[in-house]
Amino acid sequence: MAVTFIGVRHHSPACARLVRRTIETLRPAYVLVEGPADVNDRLDELLLGHQLPIAIFSHYRDDERAHLSWAPFCAYSPEWVALTVGRAHGAKLRFIDLPAWHPALAGRRNRYADAEQRYADAADRLCRAFAVDNVDALWDRLVEVEPDDGLEERLATYFDLVRGETETGEDDTAREAYMAAWVRAAAADAGDRPVVVVTGGFHRPALRRLVAEPGSVVPEITNVRAVPVEVTSGLHRPAPRTGTEEPAGPLEVTDRSQAPGASPVADAGDGPVEVGGGLHPGGDGPEAARADVGADPAGAAARLPRSAASPLVAASSGWPEIPRPAAGAVGGSYLVPYSFRRLDAFSGYQSGMPSPEYYQRLWEQGADAAADGLVEAVATRLRGRGVAVSTADLIAARTLSAGLARLRGHPHPARTDILDGLVSALVSDDLDQPLPWTRRGALEPGAHPVVAEMVAALSGDRTGRLHPDTPAPPLVHDVDAELARLGLDRTGTVELDLSDAGDLVRARALHRLRVLRVPGYRRVSGPVSGADPVLDERWELTDDEERTAALIEAGAYGGTLRDAATAVLAEGVAAAGTKPDGLAAVLFDAALCGVTDLSEQITELIAANIAGARELGPLGDALATVLALWRHDRVLGTAGSPMYAAVIDGAVTRVLWLAEGVHGGPAPADPARLRAVTATRDALLHAHEVLSTGREAALDVMARIGADREAPPDLRGAAFGFGWSLGASADPVRALRGAAGADTLGDWLAGLFALARDEVLADGGSAGGGVLAVLDDLVTTMPDFLAGLPALRQAFAYFPPRERELIARRLLERRRLTGSARALLRTTADPLLIAEARALEERTSRLLAGEGLLP
Amino acid sequence: MTTEETFQRPPAEIRYADELARLGEDDRGGRPPGWALSLETARAFIVGDERRGIRRKFVGDPSLIDRALVSLATSRGLLLVGEPGTAKSLLSELIAAAVSGTSTLTIQGGAATTEDQIKYSWNYALLVSEGPSPRSLVPAPLLKGMAEGKIVRFEEITRCPLEVQDSLLSPLSERVLAIPELNGTDGMVFARQGFNVIATANTRDRGVNDMSAALKRRFNFETVFPIADFATELDLVEAEARALLEASGVTVPPRRDVLEVLVATFRELRAGTNADGGPADRLSTVMSTAETVSVAHAVGLRGWFLRGEPGTAADIVACLAGTAAKDNADDLARLRRYLEQQVPRRRGDQWRALHDARHLLPG
Repeated sequence: MAVTFIGVRHHSPACARLVRRTIETLRPAYVLVEGPADVNDRLDELLLGHQLPIAIFSHYRDDERAHLSWAPFCAYSPEWVALTVGRAHGAKLRFIDLPAWHPALAGRRNRYADAEQRYADAADRLCRAFAVDNVDALWDRLVEVEPDDGLEERLATYFDLVRGETETGEDDTAREAYMAAWVRAAAADAGDRPVVVVTGGFHRPALRRLVAEPGSVVPEITNVRAVPVEVTSGLHRPAPRTGTEEPAGPLEVTDRSQAPGASPVADAGDGPVEVGGGLHPGGDGPEAARADVGADPAGAAARLPRSAASPLVAASSGWPEIPRPAAGAVGGSYLVPYSFRRLDAFSGYQSGMPSPEYYQRLWEQGADAAADGLVEAVATRLRGRGVAVSTADLIAARTLSAGLARLRGHPHPARTDILDGLVSALVSDDLDQPLPWTRRGALEPGAHPVVAEMVAALSGDRTGRLHPDTPAPPLVHDVDAELARLGLDRTGTVELDLSDAGDLVRARALHRLRVLRVPGYRRVSGPVSGADPVLDERWELTDDEERTAALIEAGAYGGTLRDAATAVLAEGVAAAGTKPDGLAAVLFDAALCGVTDLSEQITELIAANIAGARELGPLGDALATVLALWRHDRVLGTAGSPMYAAVIDGAVTRVLWLAEGVHGGPAPADPARLRAVTATRDALLHAHEVLSTGREAALDVMARIGADREAPPDLRGAAFGFGWSLGASADPVRALRGAAGADTLGDWLAGLFALARDEVLADGGSAGGGVLAVLDDLVTTMPDFLAGLPALRQAFAYFPPRERELIARRLLERRRLTGSARALLRTTADPLLIAEARALEERTSRLLAGEGLLP
Repeated sequence: MTTEETFQRPPAEIRYADELARLGEDDRGGRPPGWALSLETARAFIVGDERRGIRRKFVGDPSLIDRALVSLATSRGLLLVGEPGTAKSLLSELIAAAVSGTSTLTIQGGAATTEDQIKYSWNYALLVSEGPSPRSLVPAPLLKGMAEGKIVRFEEITRCPLEVQDSLLSPLSERVLAIPELNGTDGMVFARQGFNVIATANTRDRGVNDMSAALKRRFNFETVFPIADFATELDLVEAEARALLEASGVTVPPRRDVLEVLVATFRELRAGTNADGGPADRLSTVMSTAETVSVAHAVGLRGWFLRGEPGTAADIVACLAGTAAKDNADDLARLRRYLEQQVPRRRGDQWRALHDARHLLPG
């Protein structure tokens, strides 16, 4: 009996090769792989012969939380190779990690993310010592481009260093305890035959300790010689390539991690220390495992849910029990097709190895061919985009890559060597953002086109496809059941009344299918915005042969219609970026789908997107839409929703920010930005409890705009009206006199009337020189009345006819005239003539626009 | 030779003479022809090597140094681009010192730079008495660098008129400089191994867009970015500000929590992101680390000489108006909005003090 632990980095071709070699050499009885143990009874499904990449998708929902996660596999994943090669050599396969729904994995969207992201200090030290930018470059340097001999030792050293002395989080401790229980059970069951364990390298040191000394307290192992497992790693640093650039730091770091007794590997000899069976007689299993759980730091055990906190090992078989979710929770795991683009899109704590297309080539063809392929792919893409890539450039890129590889001590050009060489040779501009491969981050909008194409070429666009015999994901069944329950499993026209509870549920189901882009569900009519008073919807249902395929693909987003729609809407939020109109559309879709509790993460993203909006007009419209949904919409159930509240808060802050930045002297009034100021005022009036920018700050901003000579007159008028309508003390007459002037008065008034119509009318009623009286004087004495007339007309259009009549009556009173106020409002021209004039104007505009003379 | 102490700012090869000497002795790597150090050693000189006691002199991505050095070893020149105050000139000085052992073959670009200052001019007394001869020739940095096989630094290349910039074309591509006034072999100076050009350009002035495509092709572009890591920048600012304050006779060190607020403010206004990483407005003024240091210095001076204490968040606001806003009204408005709307979202006493001091902004 011997257990071989292979610590891998997920999605590393070099590790995959090591796994293949080891399994082929050892022919183990068991191959144990880090993966969700609750899928063990369905491993056959995983090995049906899919086209990679695919992923095990898991979803979970209980009263407290909802969680979606993926365990992606591609051809060069060590875990995938372990499964396929293990199966080919007759080994029994087991996933040994906790299920994806388990609290220890809460917050993990990518099961195969890099663990060192969570413990960044040691990785940072290593990077500095090797003078590389980040972990990816370090990994390529130590592992991917190096020859395979000695790989195991290098990996062990690397992960021991990364693990170092850092305190492991309780989540990782719980997972490691569980995995160790599986290893012990498999070792006991295998008897004399070897067992191969493939896990993330970060877990390897702990697993070995746990398996070796099941009864001891985890971190305190002092008797190094007693490690009863096969130890194949010594501490060897990778051989330096040249004498002079021998990197310094790691040795020191190594020394630190080898404080006496701290590491069980320190003196563990060179060869395998094979210890005969007997240490793990089958009967020991349960006790050992129980002892192990007992010895666990209390936190780890405490985090196990009640169902899982029972003894981890089933007494009868010796195999660990697979935790089951508590009653009432919904969850499941199933296979979904995946894509390189999604694999590359994980970021932050979820990220793993980048650039799947490059590593796919590395796995298939080797480092040199991968490098050539990469250069070719980038050149082809750039030429396709019309960017000139000359032969001289490619020669320069090749020379630089080779030079960089030599300087960095790589036997073959590594990923970063190629990228650095290409970027040096092809980019003849200054860049706006750091190169994405130096920062380990995603590309931001506005990246240099050459860099963007390079990143896209490395990411690749392969997509996976499931074998036809794969059971359909639960979404397909869920949708069928849901539609049958709602009586929508038919074709033809469906009329729905949204004020009816049953029909509302039906409408939501149909809208969810619509946002999932499942063909066959088309809405013919219905409300188109939050303020739309339409309460009827009309749908056209057809039988589409693509329907099932689309549902299977959509299955990657969630197990139920609601979950999947939520995930798609969340993606829509991300895609809308800083465009408020796009965002408002997604939020309205969310309201239609009845999904108003998008996760906190998404709410933050929305807030961030809003904070990046550049245009006042669209932002104001979005604010008005969302404010209406938040205040009134009891039909769609969005009234008072915290998600919409966050949008309102962010939009108000941003409108104030943007409004103060608008400059440029006299300009025609812009109704869109006036609407934005109005919406902001409404938010302050009706939603002040959700705003973080208070009334005072808003009034300060508006007071400054009102006094700013550089700001356009309509905005200044609106700013004044903003304060007036909120009851801030102000002298309207003085402000009005300040805005007098044929070129500004009308626009200023447009702003004022848009915001403070009521106040103007009320003020005009008071005795003496109210606003209307002053205005009357100003207009009467205006020297250039005709020039100012169009703007004045536009301004007074903010008053509805009845209020205009009121104004007219006051003017008559002021002049002590009698007569019909209404008659004053009537035009004396022939209506037909006006209609003709309007038609002529419209035709002219169309003509001018057609010739490109008007925007 | 004058000792180091009497220079206001000795060049890198004098400041780090002992490190260069030590590295040179131990250097076993292959050196590109004409180089004083191997690539690996030159890199260690710049990014530092704790084990050999070599200080880290440039805070930035190591891969940038890799690319820069490899570019210089090929037939293309190196053009460092970036915002002002990102240590481009320091980097070019360090590289020149490491590669050639001298960083003083420097052309300072400007509107008045002429070809004479780049290539060569004449000693007119000798020229009149003897006619053109190698004796009457006064070599400028480019000619010297070509003849001796050294790195020539060209600072702020985009500040020069385009025609003057283009005088680099044939030295960079043909690696030869013709002196038509001289006859025979003296009339052609062929570049020796080791010659290359490091130019710097900042993105604020005229930028690199005006450069001729022909010249662009002869350079590899490297963009130098502001320091990415908050802690690194804070440490750097603290160290530099402390040194400046000591030199100004201030005996109390700057307060770290005040510096934290200062550095965070500068970073957010520079990058145009708020505390949550969301986008916000960025200032059009230069908000480099160098400017941060000078504000930290000013804050310390105000605190000490006005009140006898280390300087507070209110001093930051007072100093920001002069540095960040300069004479730009838009920037002043952005700064005010930042103090009003973004700062209150942060937690901490100093942030609150910063918010409370917002009225100190002029206007």
